[in-house]
Amino acid sequence: MDRALVLFIVAIQLVVGSLCNVAGDTNTLESVPDLEKAMYFNAHGYPCVRLLNLSGEIGCSNPGQEKIVAPIFRQVNIDKLVVPSFAVLTPLEELENLLLRVSGDSKLAPKIAGVLVEATGLENRSLGFSPDEKFPQAEFAPYQNLSFEWNPRGSGIMWKRYNFPIFLLSNESTKVLQEMATQNEKNYKAYPSNVAEFDLVMQTTKSENHDSSSCLKEQSCLPLGGYSVWSALPPIYAGEPPKSILLVMASMDSGSIFRDICFGADSSLSGLIALLAAVDAISHVSNLNELKKQLIFGVFTGEAWGYLGSKRFLLELDLGADSLKGLNSAMIEQVFEIGSVGKALNQGVTTFFTHSGQDTPSTNEILDALQKASESLGSDNVNIKKADATNPGVPPSSLMSFLRKNSSISGVVLEDFDTSFVNKFYHSHLDNHANINATSIAAAAIIVARALYVIASDVPLNLIVLNSIKVNVSLVDELVGCLLTCDPGLSCGIVNHFISPSNVCPNHYVGVFVDTPSETQRPQFADDTSRFVWNFLADRTSAPKKNSSPCKGECSSPSDVCVGAETESSRCVTSTTRYVPSYSTRLKFEANSWKILPANASDPSGLADPVWTESYWNTIGLRAYKVQSSTYDNLVLLAGISITAATYIATLVGKTFLLKALKHD
Amino acid sequence: MTVAAGVGYALIGLGPALSIFVSVISKKPFLVLTVLSSTLFWLVSLILLSAAWRALLPIKSTATWPYAVLILTSVVFQEGIRFVFWKLYKKLEEILDLFADRTSKRRLFLTDKLQIALAGGLGHGVAHAVFFCLSLLTPAFGRATYFVERCSHMPFSLISAIISLGFSMIHTSSMVIAFNGYAQKKKSDQIFVPVIHMIASIMTLINLAPGGCVIGIPLLCLSAAGTLLYCWILVSRRLRESHGRPAT
Repeated sequence: MDRALVLFIVAIQLVVGSLCNVAGDTNTLESVPDLEKAMYFNAHGYPCVRLLNLSGEIGCSNPGQEKIVAPIFRQVNIDKLVVPSFAVLTPLEELENLLLRVSGDSKLAPKIAGVLVEATGLENRSLGFSPDEKFPQAEFAPYQNLSFEWNPRGSGIMWKRYNFPIFLLSNESTKVLQEMATQNEKNYKAYPSNVAEFDLVMQTTKSENHDSSSCLKEQSCLPLGGYSVWSALPPIYAGEPPKSILLVMASMDSGSIFRDICFGADSSLSGLIALLAAVDAISHVSNLNELKKQLIFGVFTGEAWGYLGSKRFLLELDLGADSLKGLNSAMIEQVFEIGSVGKALNQGVTTFFTHSGQDTPSTNEILDALQKASESLGSDNVNIKKADATNPGVPPSSLMSFLRKNSSISGVVLEDFDTSFVNKFYHSHLDNHANINATSIAAAAIIVARALYVIASDVPLNLIVLNSIKVNVSLVDELVGCLLTCDPGLSCGIVNHFISPSNVCPNHYVGVFVDTPSETQRPQFADDTSRFVWNFLADRTSAPKKNSSPCKGECSSPSDVCVGAETESSRCVTSTTRYVPSYSTRLKFEANSWKILPANASDPSGLADPVWTESYWNTIGLRAYKVQSSTYDNLVLLAGISITAATYIATLVGKTFLLKALKHD
Repeated sequence: MTVAAGVGYALIGLGPALSIFVSVISKKPFLVLTVLSSTLFWLVSLILLSAAWRALLPIKSTATWPYAVLILTSVVFQEGIRFVFWKLYKKLEEILDLFADRTSKRRLFLTDKLQIALAGGLGHGVAHAVFFCLSLLTPAFGRATYFVERCSHMPFSLISAIISLGFSMIHTSSMVIAFNGYAQKKKSDQIFVPVIHMIASIMTLINLAPGGCVIGIPLLCLSAAGTLLYCWILVSRRLRESHGRPAT
């Protein structure tokens, strides 16, 4: 018998030995936390969150206070499903159709527990993807034709309310969840089933606040906002006779249905990069003090959410706020905006379109200057064309705020489109660096820089100086890398030269206004882009200084500012560069909370202001895992109890049997 | 999974041991002490071994052979420990018998000795279950279930609970068989125990093969049932043989 056992062991060992190769790829779990990690897949995704305005809500939220758990199925199969609720895994191409269908189908909507958007992008980019309206922010337009389609690709899904969570998945998470959905679809009703667990519980849902006024009162939300920046070239000194102002502006924020992934490359960061490169180019011109006009550069934030930056700028200007000391609205003679300029290159020819308000001599002066700038480039093929006369007016831009306030102001917007956006990804996460062309931005920068010189200088024009104005193309390339990509992103050299960024990957969603608005010049929570723009403009517009001393935020002279305060190369420079808080003009911060001001009938743009706020939340999470049916769980419990009870009975019976056997013998 | 499933798995793994404890052990404090000391013995043996393995074996490697070495060494070591446990028990029995003689009380009956062996085995079994099953069951109380890639037929917790059930039965019966073998100097029983321990342990390696659990788990259950049956036959025979005579 012993020998047989030994032989058996040897046989088993041989079997085991042959398994060694098969078992070679074991993923070892070394601890219970490892096991939990293997059980729960923490998906990486970008959420759509809940935003509120004065009349209601938009965006996404869990319907209640609990996490939502539902089996994952692909969008193509949702009509076959018999389960009461499910998480839909959808390619981006189908997202708009799905959400539009959900909005109109009262039977489908309650079944959708959540939506997971695959990150594979668009196979056919020519289809485009724009969650914004066909006429974005039409309510602020200074004209009546609101049915005009500036953004024909727009679906408007960004402005609707969804009573379920939506996440845009990362590439890696997409693969895992696709696999899970495939497993589920092998057998639609059977367990184990792969489920997604959505944790997107919004504070406003918890506290049942359904508009901005109630949530601000209960402090379950914060208003959208940030810090705009303005800078004067050359610096303004107190006591100098004021010159008429040429305001050159761009926006530094964009929109996206997924708040955490928002590059806004063409709209509107291309305009910002062109503005920065133009400032850099023009700052090298000597004798800027002799210009007949004062150049003011304004970079606004919150423009995608009700033109918060430009409207607050105008309001503060009227109020004579400290942040705008030295400026006077009456002195603003011309407004020139650099809009979307990243897609002007078409078949080797760069064409920009000028959209203007009223036809005034001042407007024509800007248009002429742009033509002269274009001509001065000679054979460089940068064309400037006037936008189609049949357009109802200026396209969606900060200029709208100025025109709404004063319709006779001379304003021009430079854009890369004529009658409708060439950007098919307006206000979507796909408006990234691949959507624009740095050459187009550089062309806009040189045109703008030269045009500004033409407008601001006296006649006769000094052509030698004009032709000496050159844009640093590598600066444009670097800024594209810094502001529109995650690699290098904000860890790039020029950004690190000025600030120490809080994130590497740039995000141009405006965010919420966290500071108290009273402290404007040294804000604690200005975002990376605002701080970078402030430092860059302060540095480039500063008057030459022989010895600049290191500083920590403040400089001894009131006309000086501290550039690079967060870095080791900090220095005091003479510059008029300031932050302007940007939040709704209908809001006032009083007694540590935000109050909504009553609408003023004389201020039509204030009436139109939706007062956007963003709900607070605790954590946002998305997990996926396998679950058993509750029947199975109960069976396991039953089996456990049965085995335990059976053993108990067996032991008792065994004991009795043995004792009986003893007695019997 | 839910709390119901978590409790269910825990009962599958530890329920039988609990039943034996309640029905046999808990009534006699001496047996409770034996269970505790045996558990301690087993745990100390595993700690000593793990210290040695950590120093010597490349545990992180993906090959299977380190697992085979782990199992071989631990089985050999634990069987050694069983022998030491027996020797200590023997010393104790002599002292108890001497004490009984002096106080003119009865010596230990065969049933007492069998119960002590059962308690010793149960201690080993419980320690095994706590160490290898109960510690892994905490995630089973959560929502998710988990399937090892190589065994898509059964949840990981169920496999772990069944293995634990099998081993607690094998350990419990083995100690009774081994003590009997040592007491009667019966070679076949003395060899049966380490051999069945080794076979059962090595059979867990089958689970490493894709789909292996379908074969490995039933085989383990079979060997547990075989050990239990062997033990039952042995005990009933011994009781019949020793009826009316003082225990040897």
